[in-house]
Amino acid sequence: MPSAESGGTPAIAVTDVEHRYGDTVALGPLNLAVPPGEFLVLVGASGCGKSTLLRLIAGFERPTTGTVLTGGVPPIPGRGAGLVFQQPRLFPWKTVGGNIELALRYAGQSTDGVDALLQRVGLPDVAKRRTWQISGGQQQRVAIARALAADRPLLLLDEPFAALDALTRERLQEDLRSVSAATGRTSIFVTHSVDEAVFLGSRVVVLSPRPGRIVLDLPIPLPRAGITPDDLRGLPDYAALRAEIGHAVRSEGASA
Amino acid sequence: MTTTVPVPPATETSTGALTVTRGALTPRGGRRRRILLRLLALVVLYGLWEVAARVTRNPTFIPSPGAVWHQLVQTSTTHDGIRGYSGHLLIEHLGVSLRRILIGSVIGVAGGVLLGVVMGTVSWIRVVIEPVVTFVRALPPLAYFSLFIIWFGIDETPKLWLLSIAAMPPVAVATAAAVYAAPTGLVEAARALGASRAQVIRDVVLPHALPEIFTGIRIAVGVAYSSVVAAETINGVPGIGGMVRDAQRYSQTDVVVLGLFAIGLSGLIIDALLRSAENRLIPWRGQI
Repeated sequence: MPSAESGGTPAIAVTDVEHRYGDTVALGPLNLAVPPGEFLVLVGASGCGKSTLLRLIAGFERPTTGTVLTGGVPPIPGRGAGLVFQQPRLFPWKTVGGNIELALRYAGQSTDGVDALLQRVGLPDVAKRRTWQISGGQQQRVAIARALAADRPLLLLDEPFAALDALTRERLQEDLRSVSAATGRTSIFVTHSVDEAVFLGSRVVVLSPRPGRIVLDLPIPLPRAGITPDDLRGLPDYAALRAEIGHAVRSEGASA
Repeated sequence: MTTTVPVPPATETSTGALTVTRGALTPRGGRRRRILLRLLALVVLYGLWEVAARVTRNPTFIPSPGAVWHQLVQTSTTHDGIRGYSGHLLIEHLGVSLRRILIGSVIGVAGGVLLGVVMGTVSWIRVVIEPVVTFVRALPPLAYFSLFIIWFGIDETPKLWLLSIAAMPPVAVATAAAVYAAPTGLVEAARALGASRAQVIRDVVLPHALPEIFTGIRIAVGVAYSSVVAAETINGVPGIGGMVRDAQRYSQTDVVVLGLFAIGLSGLIIDALLRSAENRLIPWRGQI
């Protein structure tokens, strides 16, 4: 499969990786190089190993064979990547601001930036509220702000909008796209949704059902800034890319 | 480009839902009814007690409410040169016992939390310590009090040891269980933010365990309370247990009953204070 190398050290390099759980091969063999600044979206059916790949890149697991490098070194949790999970996983004993403060403290940064981070994800004036006093969509925004707080070079998002209603999901997609364009951070986003993949990604990788292998690796040559979401979705290329990815997913028996 | 999203009204919805739920659980009429029912139960109990005292006509067996009230006045004041009971006012007896319970509970809780955290995080220590904690938990306080008397004499030290040891196991067990069951998702979230092992324990594992620890503390204080009478059986005056013990020796049943009331009522007050502290310190209980 082709990989988008742009010269120099890739932000993420996955080389000959295979990962097993007992006798079950969950992933691979798989090669993937992600250049700095890319917004890569991983699409595939449930159980195809998308989240496993993300956990390998985050450093929560080591591959059974092969190597994973982030910034040229093996990943260590909390060092090179901010992580957003499917559930917000906020600490309920902390306020909204307290959750972000904690992330800043772990990163050795000043805690003055809490309001600015909340502002960045469209949540002014909630810093003092309890995490359960805000909606699910707002909680996920806080989780994104918390992951951005440490200013890591990578942002990994594991189906962060899967549990949200359609309207909130659409809003958050638009906001994440804006934040991504503003920060230019290398990101990997896992999703089932083909539309979400085309809307968010600068590159989309489709994985086959278990064991997850790359069946499509497609650059998304759509403008990443200076265009409204509606205009973006209205582009002829958008529909064509959506169809191509959808076809790849369906032909692999994936239920996107 | 859209960058700002207004705060959705879901917040109001969730807060509103909470208010509605609370309101449904504690309607004003229901609360009034409950208070009336409790008052009625007290009146009925008082009546039964009075009748029982009159029928038996044996104040050593069942003292009348009036006799207990009389003892309350006698033990709370100085009469004919006699100060309270055994030279101490009732409030002083109670105060000394509460001080012992407080010190014993604080030591027991601190030790229990420490032990629980170690047991919950280091598996080989849990394997070794768990049977010991269960063993101590199963022992009646009087069983090891004799040992403390031999080791430490009959002053304060054995009493405080007894209460501390009695209070420790419930907290240790509750803490260990809660620490062991720390949610992987939240631990991973903290690690993904760059937390060290110590920070994960301090910022995630312990706060998550706090509701269980508090339940353990309430049980521990209850155990310390029930053990204080045992701790004060020897050289226990001043002390409410010592007062009850002395009264029992002289068949002063009215003083015994008064002592029981003092222990029970102060226990209720302390439990209510702990519950109130729990609500204030752990507002997230039930939100995970």
